[in-house]
Amino acid sequence: MTFDRHISLAHGNGGRFMRELITEIFARHLDNPGLDVSLDAAPMDLSGVDNDSMIPMITTDGFVVQPLEFPGGDIGSLAVHGTVNDLAVCGAKPLYFSLNAIIEEGLESDCLERVVKSLAAAAREAGVRVVAGDTKVVPRGNGGGLYLATTGVGLRPAGLMLGMHTIQPGDQVLVSGPIGDHGIAVMLAREEFQIKGDVQSDSASVLPLAEAAMAFEGLRFMRDPTRGGLASVGCEICSATGLGLRLMETAVPVRESVGMVCEMLGYDPYYLACEGRVVAVVAAAEAQALLEAWRATAGGNQAAIIGSMVSDKARLVLETELAGERVLEELEDDPLPRIC
Amino acid sequence: MDRPLVATSGNISGEPVLTDNQEATTRLAAIADGFLHHNRPIVRPADDPVIRSIAGQPRHIRLGRGIAPLELDLPTGPAQPVLAVGGHMKDAVALCWDKRLVISPHIGDLDSPRSMDVFEHTIGDLQALYEVQAQSIICDLHPAYTSSRWARQQNLPLLEVQHHHAHASALAGEHPDIHRWLVFTWDGVGMGNDGSLWGGEALTGVPGDWQRKASFRPFYLSGGNKAGREPWRSAAALMWGAGYDWLPPVNGVELARDGWRKRLNTHPSSAVGRLFDAAAALVLDRTVASFEGQGPMELESLTRQRATPVSLPLAMDANGILRSDWSVLPAMLSDQVRSAAERADIFHESMAQTLVDQALGIQKTTAFEAVGLSGGVFQNRRLTEIVLELLEQHDIPVRLHRQIPANDGGLCFGQIIEYLATQQTFVEHGSR
Repeated sequence: MTFDRHISLAHGNGGRFMRELITEIFARHLDNPGLDVSLDAAPMDLSGVDNDSMIPMITTDGFVVQPLEFPGGDIGSLAVHGTVNDLAVCGAKPLYFSLNAIIEEGLESDCLERVVKSLAAAAREAGVRVVAGDTKVVPRGNGGGLYLATTGVGLRPAGLMLGMHTIQPGDQVLVSGPIGDHGIAVMLAREEFQIKGDVQSDSASVLPLAEAAMAFEGLRFMRDPTRGGLASVGCEICSATGLGLRLMETAVPVRESVGMVCEMLGYDPYYLACEGRVVAVVAAAEAQALLEAWRATAGGNQAAIIGSMVSDKARLVLETELAGERVLEELEDDPLPRIC
Repeated sequence: MDRPLVATSGNISGEPVLTDNQEATTRLAAIADGFLHHNRPIVRPADDPVIRSIAGQPRHIRLGRGIAPLELDLPTGPAQPVLAVGGHMKDAVALCWDKRLVISPHIGDLDSPRSMDVFEHTIGDLQALYEVQAQSIICDLHPAYTSSRWARQQNLPLLEVQHHHAHASALAGEHPDIHRWLVFTWDGVGMGNDGSLWGGEALTGVPGDWQRKASFRPFYLSGGNKAGREPWRSAAALMWGAGYDWLPPVNGVELARDGWRKRLNTHPSSAVGRLFDAAAALVLDRTVASFEGQGPMELESLTRQRATPVSLPLAMDANGILRSDWSVLPAMLSDQVRSAAERADIFHESMAQTLVDQALGIQKTTAFEAVGLSGGVFQNRRLTEIVLELLEQHDIPVRLHRQIPANDGGLCFGQIIEYLATQQTFVEHGSR
């Protein structure tokens, strides 16, 4: 192999080294019936799709997380989950992916291979095929080891009416699991903290959770709370609907270990990123049923009803213990840099 | 009764008083066991005023019922009505037009939706009452203060005033006879022009033209906003900063120490209010506080007599700012051989002496007519009275606040004074 230990600039020069990089690392792990590395463009087989009942959806996302590998995931699995989840919360089933890899000269090839393997496993689990891709190598010092970008294409039922415009006063707000795991796990890994009871990223596909939620007629809206966390999703909902959202502090699931790190380092879990959670707004009458459905779904066993929409000023209010109230404002500064 | 009975005003900590019986019963259900209502509706709520006697005069800690709205006459006024929205904690707002200025009653800390509602209501009510519509707004430099966020949303010309400039101008506005100041603005925290957390700043000049001449060696405060309620963080900043391996009895503190070493969510500060927090934490084991300033108040109550100060070295930094070095304090504050009261005495004496050292140092290069004391730290009677005695020995006149609170409740007034000064400067320049 031409990359015994490290990626060199030659792996991006279009020649033999690059061909070997693509076949030995990318194509080998990402192998699927739709992937043909000799083509400049790939066909997407949407045969059997009724164009009147399904709408193709597309999304794209870039990934620059540091470090590349962290407890509970890595940049590879994250690049799948991030894009899968963006499609899933819009009600779409992800089918095809493209992948861009911008590699920094000097990256350990073992590390690259681990990440690509992890990406391939995540893609298989979510049922998506990587059918197109590109690799570039940039000179040492010009990138954080590896940047990835994925574009995902999926199909959404045409009749699905999801959106913040459907949200009404009285609707209930749910979250599918504990918040802040990803933000804290990545921060602890980046800063090389030596703490016991380490926190794992929640990086995962939320497809099963989204599909479970879509069975409910009263489902109004879903969003995966990534950068900016639960509070940013809440602020966005308030600003788009003109309604108030009241969250109950005691109802929002936060792991003890995450809570402890937040307490000691002064972070607010409501603003920390998740990469495997869904926030859903649902008609009050179906909130309990959705909660039960989520709790019976993989990744949703700690789901909770955390708040409700109210006819108030358009603001996100956290009800604390002992009847205190705190306005959660839109984020000014990044609480934690580069977490996705 | 076989147990203590507490009767208190109807509000949740930091929030404005609840004025509607129904709302009070609901919101206070988890706190109060009983309610004493009145059948008269409250149209304009006002908290009780708080006053403390310092240097022989009553000083306002909070402008409340019977005092606010406080109307003042000014020598000059703005071209158009202007609104100053103050800071974030203990907030009050001020409206200024012609040569009149009105300061609202105390509103409270602007974290809760109710505070925000009262803040907005007060602004609307002041303008309606005096039939004046503000044409521009002044707010603090800190972008994340709720009042600053609100100000930015109003579609009116906006002026941001640095926190300690506003404190200094609030004092100067009460003493128009002084034209060259040295004002010590000591408080818990305010965002400085350099983005760091100021709060131990000595400023010379006049409103609209303040120069930072002295400060403190920065210490590193961990935990973001938590420092104000967790004095152990201030103590840790000094102890760890001075090289001591000190761990307070706080669950998970090793994590905080590791974060501090990595400078994670950790900000440089020169705030004297935090030095007082640190002293309270070290002398009294006051690791957490239920309100800002609790530790320093307890520490002050221990003081009995004058003492021999610990001398904080004073040196000029690369930017020409004199800086007092706090690193001699941890050894004294954690010296178990000395009683808590003795350490409290030495600490107060040391901080007063530090102020005097800075004043004398600044006097060598910059002339001033009087020293002013502003910022919440000077609500400390013991400190303030020692400073007065020491400066008197050097024949340096000292001015304190008369009607305006030294704490953040006075910021709105200072913002107006600062605005009027810059407006005048602008007009003067334009007419030349």
